[in-house]
Amino acid sequence: MRNQGGILQNIDRWMVVIFLLLVAMGWVSIYASVYNDEHQSILDFSQNYGKQAIWIGGSLLIALSILIIDGKFFAAFSYPTYIIFILLLLVVLVVARDVKGAVSWIDIGSFKLQPSEFAKFATNMALAKFLSTLDIRMKDLKTKIVSLLIIGLPAVLILLQNDTGSALVYAAFVFVLYREGLSGNILIFGFLAAVLFVMTLLVPKIVLFSVIGGIGLVFYFFVRKKRQNILIIAAGVLIASAIVFSVDYAINHVLQEHQRTRINVLLGKEIDPKGAGYNVNQSKIAIGSGGVFGKGFLQGTQTKYDFVPEQSTDFIFCTVGEEWGFVGSFVVIGLFMILLWRIIYVAERQRSQYSRIYGYGVACILFFHLMVNIGMTVGLAPVIGIPLPFFSYGGSSLWSFTILLFVFIKLDAYRLEILR
Amino acid sequence: METKKDIMWRIYLVFAGFLLFGIAICVQIFRIQFVEGDYWRSKADSLTTQIRSIEASRGNICSSDGSLLATSVPIYDVRMDLNADGLTSEVFNKNIDSLSLCLSNLFKDKSRSEYNHDLRQARNGGSRYFLIQKNVHYADLHKLKQFPLFRLGKYKGGLLIDQRNVRELPFKELAQRTIGTMRDIKPVGIEASFDGSLQGASGSRLMQRIAGGVWMPLNDKEEVESKDGNDIITTINVNIQDVAESALGEHLLKNNADHGCVVVMEVETGNIVAIANLSRTPDGSYQENFNYAIAEATEPGSTMKLASLLVGIDDGLIDLNEKIDVGNGLMFYCGQKMEDAHPPKKTKLTVREAFMTSSNVGVSKIITHYYANKQQAFLSKLQSFGLNNKLGLQIEGEGRPHIKNAKDKDWNPCVSLPWTSIGYEVLLSPLQTLTFYNAIANNGRMVKPKFVKEIRYHGQLVKAFPTEIIRDSIVSPSTIAKAHELLESVVDSGTATALKNPNYRVAGKTGTAVINHQKFGYDKNNKTYQASFAGYFPADRPKYSIIAVVYAPSSGVYYGGAVSAPIFKEIADKLFSNEMSLHNELAASDSLNKNIPEAKPGQQNDLNKVLASLKVNALTRNAEATWVSTTGSEEGVVMTERNTHIGAVPNVIGMGIRDAIYLLENSGLNVKASGKGAVKKQSIDPGTKIIKGQKIVIELG
Repeated sequence: MRNQGGILQNIDRWMVVIFLLLVAMGWVSIYASVYNDEHQSILDFSQNYGKQAIWIGGSLLIALSILIIDGKFFAAFSYPTYIIFILLLLVVLVVARDVKGAVSWIDIGSFKLQPSEFAKFATNMALAKFLSTLDIRMKDLKTKIVSLLIIGLPAVLILLQNDTGSALVYAAFVFVLYREGLSGNILIFGFLAAVLFVMTLLVPKIVLFSVIGGIGLVFYFFVRKKRQNILIIAAGVLIASAIVFSVDYAINHVLQEHQRTRINVLLGKEIDPKGAGYNVNQSKIAIGSGGVFGKGFLQGTQTKYDFVPEQSTDFIFCTVGEEWGFVGSFVVIGLFMILLWRIIYVAERQRSQYSRIYGYGVACILFFHLMVNIGMTVGLAPVIGIPLPFFSYGGSSLWSFTILLFVFIKLDAYRLEILR
Repeated sequence: METKKDIMWRIYLVFAGFLLFGIAICVQIFRIQFVEGDYWRSKADSLTTQIRSIEASRGNICSSDGSLLATSVPIYDVRMDLNADGLTSEVFNKNIDSLSLCLSNLFKDKSRSEYNHDLRQARNGGSRYFLIQKNVHYADLHKLKQFPLFRLGKYKGGLLIDQRNVRELPFKELAQRTIGTMRDIKPVGIEASFDGSLQGASGSRLMQRIAGGVWMPLNDKEEVESKDGNDIITTINVNIQDVAESALGEHLLKNNADHGCVVVMEVETGNIVAIANLSRTPDGSYQENFNYAIAEATEPGSTMKLASLLVGIDDGLIDLNEKIDVGNGLMFYCGQKMEDAHPPKKTKLTVREAFMTSSNVGVSKIITHYYANKQQAFLSKLQSFGLNNKLGLQIEGEGRPHIKNAKDKDWNPCVSLPWTSIGYEVLLSPLQTLTFYNAIANNGRMVKPKFVKEIRYHGQLVKAFPTEIIRDSIVSPSTIAKAHELLESVVDSGTATALKNPNYRVAGKTGTAVINHQKFGYDKNNKTYQASFAGYFPADRPKYSIIAVVYAPSSGVYYGGAVSAPIFKEIADKLFSNEMSLHNELAASDSLNKNIPEAKPGQQNDLNKVLASLKVNALTRNAEATWVSTTGSEEGVVMTERNTHIGAVPNVIGMGIRDAIYLLENSGLNVKASGKGAVKKQSIDPGTKIIKGQKIVIELG
């Protein structure tokens, strides 16, 4: 029992400092990206950066409150929180406003709440709670199914809100399951499926089938002695073919036009600099024109186009690339990487299974956001509208990430008080 | 241990995955910034930098004293993108009512519900460029930007603003036609004639697009500086122009005339001090629509008689006292009837009398008498006055004058000469006639009318237009003296006695012509007249010449003396009262001599200063005193201290209003004053204790 020195005694300074740094850099970047001569004060509340200052103030208060709350609270209230947010997601489907084609906001007075942002953290809590229950083994089919349900339910609801990006984030929980004992084969299978997915888009189907058949034949030569292996190979070939067909079908019939275009643009199959490729092109121009040290604060020209949408939200990283150059980008990515390493490191030192699993969840969610968001600004991932954690403009996103991270910091600070 | 190892592997693998991606991103950024860097940078430049032309700001047109007659101001067209991406139905519906109300209150052109209806309809119709209002001034635009919906900006509120520069005439209609307009079709006036100087040179510079879609200049060697247009300083005097315009308008209305013009010219320089042209619009009001004074050459009528007689006088043929038999004022030239407007009082008139009563028979008879056998000599002499040439004005569009020659096909040797002598079969614009009269006033020197005296660039003189002399002397000095005599007699006892006044003497000639106007034609039963008066004043040393022409008066009166001379008078009166130099110097006996002037009580310092400059002795009893009373004495003004106690009402009796108010208000009183002169009475007695904010009434007289 060392926890007598107050709430700030045992908290992990690394995470807090990186958090503060990222938030501050994000704020400055938002200022730079929407800067205009008429409103020069960074605290002008009619502008996004002024509003962000309010959100930041709020998030600091939230962080502090979390640190004050008893550490037992989170594990105990995991399921109720989860249920509340599932209900909120349902409410959104009924009463939400239409923002840019996605139906994901609830108006509470002048305050707009985006439950899908907060649902991530609720899901993480519920999953941690479930997997930390005694006698749960990842190998059991039941465990897999329940886990999948916990993750899948909010994902489906968000998908119904037409917010594909946020729904995809839930795929990140696969890493948590893997850490907790999910067979690596499933990851490999997932990886192969992804490769096949891309191949289907790029390579003519006849070539693809020949390759699949060829690989099957090669394997057949090596393992034909055992009847069981032959069956496995046959099944593999069949599944592969099925994936190819279903992907083809999905692309042409399930995905919406703009999503299809975005994927095609990413893969270089379509060139559309004015349409779907426009944002990415602009983003690349911005980053490309930054050079080693960037153009300097407020000197960027590309990111300030008023007509490039999402410059302060999804495409905030361009501002960093343009105004601070390679060095700035490297620092930001470096900070995120250190944060991820620190979260995993801290997760592994937890005595409580709940805390550890929760920590992994945090790392995975952050990672996925980072990967997709920055990936899309540099043209490595398709344009999926999800925010860059702590950076992007927006109250819901900032607060949900703050809660996500600080609950973990609190759990960590609290670890010495629990025996197991 | 196996599980532990397995778990460690998994941890490494997960983080390795993270790291791999982090590295991939850094590699990609590196690739974009360095490998493909040049490509992206060039794209950035092509998107954000552009050589843009910088429009030069057009020069101003100023009056002679520098007041703005025409200047360029920015003006805005406000439109609305009713289907802007960020403009959701909810926001639209919530704000549309209040926006309609605000718009209705601001522009007052449509009711709130009309705006509401129009905007909704336009939104439903998919409009993205709906015109809210044209020609919005900056102040209104500023208000408009704060309106509901509009304050959300371009993308969320749909507010679109197009800026233009428009030409504004601060004095509205004043000299509008002479100032002119620079339009695509038939530009007119000074704007058109001096366009080259006014427009300046547009520049070009490399600019970069920055925040808010604004283009910011980049410093670059290639840029071409734009050069603002030059300012045109006209000869127009705004005050006189105003008088001329309103006098003309008033008399046109009174006489129900079709149109008219008036030009005021400075005798010596040819400066056009005022030029007004008004024509009747369908609704009965009068507007500046056409520059009649410059462009409309018509038969001048009787004002031409001066020129005709001067030909004879200068040739030494006609004497002013020579008698002409005019009979009953009616005669025929080869069957063509020539008639005087009023039957002459005597059957024999001297040349002078024929001129001052404007006898058609008299003038035509004496000219025919001397020139019937040498008609071309008469015409050549007329032409030698410069009456057959365009003046070559600074403003384009001058009407072409015309005096026939004897060999012309349309010259009838029997009829043309008498009619030409009284101002028919001749074409002259009002300004050309005025130029001739001005030459008479200017002792024979004909100067070119001038509209623009200087071109300036940012206040610096670029070019001055000196007075141009057309003819140094159109007739001999003795002829000029006779011309003066003739013109003065018209006002003294002829057709323009209405202009006689005790202040200044006027010389001039009335003109009443039956005209063949394009709209009216010659009609024997329903004649159309052109009433004019051309003259100058003061007659003894002429300063200004003025012509006033009224076309087609239709209230029964149509004589130049009755219709046009009053316009002349109004303008001349104004000019006279404005210009001290026109007044006769005060007689020496009127001067102040050695008398001590009366001085009102006031501040001693001020009094000292004033008295010193007037070279009057100031005698003080107390040099320290601030406020003093004054009395006159043989030696000078004696100043005695006037006691002002703090907290007591000061004595302001005898003071001027400024000093009185200063002193009383400073004591904390609320002053109400009436009358003018020195303070006669104050409602609270001096020395009374002051109650702050108390009202004190002072009467001056």
